[in-house]
Amino acid sequence: MSLQTPPRPMDTALESASVRTPAPAKLPVPADPHRGRKAMLWGTATAVIVMLHLLAVAGTDFDPTLLVDGWQGMARFISDAFPPNLDWEEVIKPGLEATLVTLWIGLLGTTLSIPSALLLAVLASRTTSPHPVAYQVSRAILSFFRAVPDIVFALIFVTAVGLGPFAGVLALICHNTGVMGKLWAESMEETDQGPQEALSTAGASRLQQIAHGSLPLVIPQFVGLLLYRFDVNVRSSLVLGLVGAGGIGLLINQAIKSFQFDTMLTHIIIVLILIIVVDQASGFVRRKLAV
Amino acid sequence: MEQAALKVQSLAKSFNGRRVLDDVDFEVKRGELVAFLGANGSGKSTTLKCVAGLTEPDAGRIELDGAQLSQLGGRQLQLARSKAAMVFQKIHLVPRRTALDNVCAGALARVSSLASVSPLFFSRELREEAMGCLERVGMADRALDRVGRLSGGQQQRVAVARALCQRASVLLADEPVSALDPNAAEHVMELLAELAHNENLAVAAVLHQPDLALRHADRAIGLMHGRITFDGPVASLNQSVLDTLYSPERNAA
Ligand SMILES: Nc1ncnc2c1ncn2[C@@H]1O[C@H](COP(=O)(O)OP(=O)(O)OP(=O)(O)O)[C@@H](O)[C@H]1O
Ligand SMILES: [Mg+2]
Repeated sequence: MSLQTPPRPMDTALESASVRTPAPAKLPVPADPHRGRKAMLWGTATAVIVMLHLLAVAGTDFDPTLLVDGWQGMARFISDAFPPNLDWEEVIKPGLEATLVTLWIGLLGTTLSIPSALLLAVLASRTTSPHPVAYQVSRAILSFFRAVPDIVFALIFVTAVGLGPFAGVLALICHNTGVMGKLWAESMEETDQGPQEALSTAGASRLQQIAHGSLPLVIPQFVGLLLYRFDVNVRSSLVLGLVGAGGIGLLINQAIKSFQFDTMLTHIIIVLILIIVVDQASGFVRRKLAV
Repeated sequence: MEQAALKVQSLAKSFNGRRVLDDVDFEVKRGELVAFLGANGSGKSTTLKCVAGLTEPDAGRIELDGAQLSQLGGRQLQLARSKAAMVFQKIHLVPRRTALDNVCAGALARVSSLASVSPLFFSRELREEAMGCLERVGMADRALDRVGRLSGGQQQRVAVARALCQRASVLLADEPVSALDPNAAEHVMELLAELAHNENLAVAAVLHQPDLALRHADRAIGLMHGRITFDGPVASLNQSVLDTLYSPERNAA
């Protein structure tokens, strides 16, 4: 090997590799005895999915030509909305105040559902439930609260407590109990049961096992899901405003009904900022928790 | 010292019609460390689980500290059972909590339910007892560290401290050192032997390394296919005994 031209490391590596590792020997692949059945299954699945979509297109009057024909209506709507109405006293100030109400609805709707969601989650998780009957019943309750949309709860509560944010809070508590209880129960079922088992051998009661063996393991997941639900609930409380539960949703509804599209646009911009702030804040806390 | 702290008679257990434990008889006295040896699936864990109440045996009598478990029920059974503490291969502590809080949890059986909602309500007395247990296993200086931050060997010692805080007279250890490096394993085995010899506990430990048993245990019990085939001082644990104990594994594989 001459000193002037040392071999480049790459070349030697490649050379020695090709020398030392011959290509693995080849073997014929055995015929797959289930090949015909697999192909049949795939074919049937594809056909079923295509059928379902055709039915859905028919069922929703799905027709893009209508959109093309009606573009002028949309253009008028959008041109009316620009520029947004930035009047402080008339639009922005009430908009910000109402946004705060929306935020409060989302906050209370989330935190006040913690006790009920926690109780139902413990009962509805196979690993912590005291009895199969309690398990089934709490599962059913959770399913019910999850199945009824928050907007339906809001309409029901409006008849009881009248129009306003309070009805919105009650509606969110109900729906969120169902969703968060289910999410929490699932994350509880997925966690390690070892510590709980260890405490059971130490003579701890069922409740003590849960308080010192199961719950402390799932706290990070629970908080993460809680923040996620807060994020979702703030957005839901917007929609609840549309049916009279107060907040910025109500103002948006009023602006549309009175054809003040420029005011509507301002409110929507405020909402957009709120959503981004809540999303970022809850994302930030969740990242901190994950570490 | 005559009376055994743990006495098991004709213990039997089947899973799905397959006999896993068959007429298992043994005793563990205070002051001795007994090693359970046997091939994978020979029934060592199941034996300990039956004693700890994690598995319900089909038949047999278990006597803990003079109390017949089969004659008790409810709260009484729970209290009698808490006389046996268990240490696991996978340690099973709560990683997010401090060593001290984990050790305190060993005493839950005698803490009133109101005071046991959160570690915040553990009494000062209990905390001081737990500190004593941590001191005993050489972990007092890490009492306020989260368990997740400790090494495997340190965690296992904290788990032993939790068992001590339970005030148990029998310590059941299912492969307590299988996940530890040789040095940490040696430390934990020394600790278990000390607890048997100095604190007068009855210690039963499932071990997968016969040399650990030879060095630290007083007596060995060999299980094969759910039956006890050897029970004697470790001094009589020669190569031929070990060969028969571990041969079924090769035959079955
Ligand atoms: N919950 C269970 N359901 C069904 N079979 C079980 C169950 N627990 C244990 N077994 C069976 O019982 C037998 C004995 O298991 P056990 O865990 O007691 O063995 P072991 O001696 O501890 O083995 P290892 O050294 O692998 O830990 C095994 O064949 C196992 O498959
Ligand atoms: Mg085992």
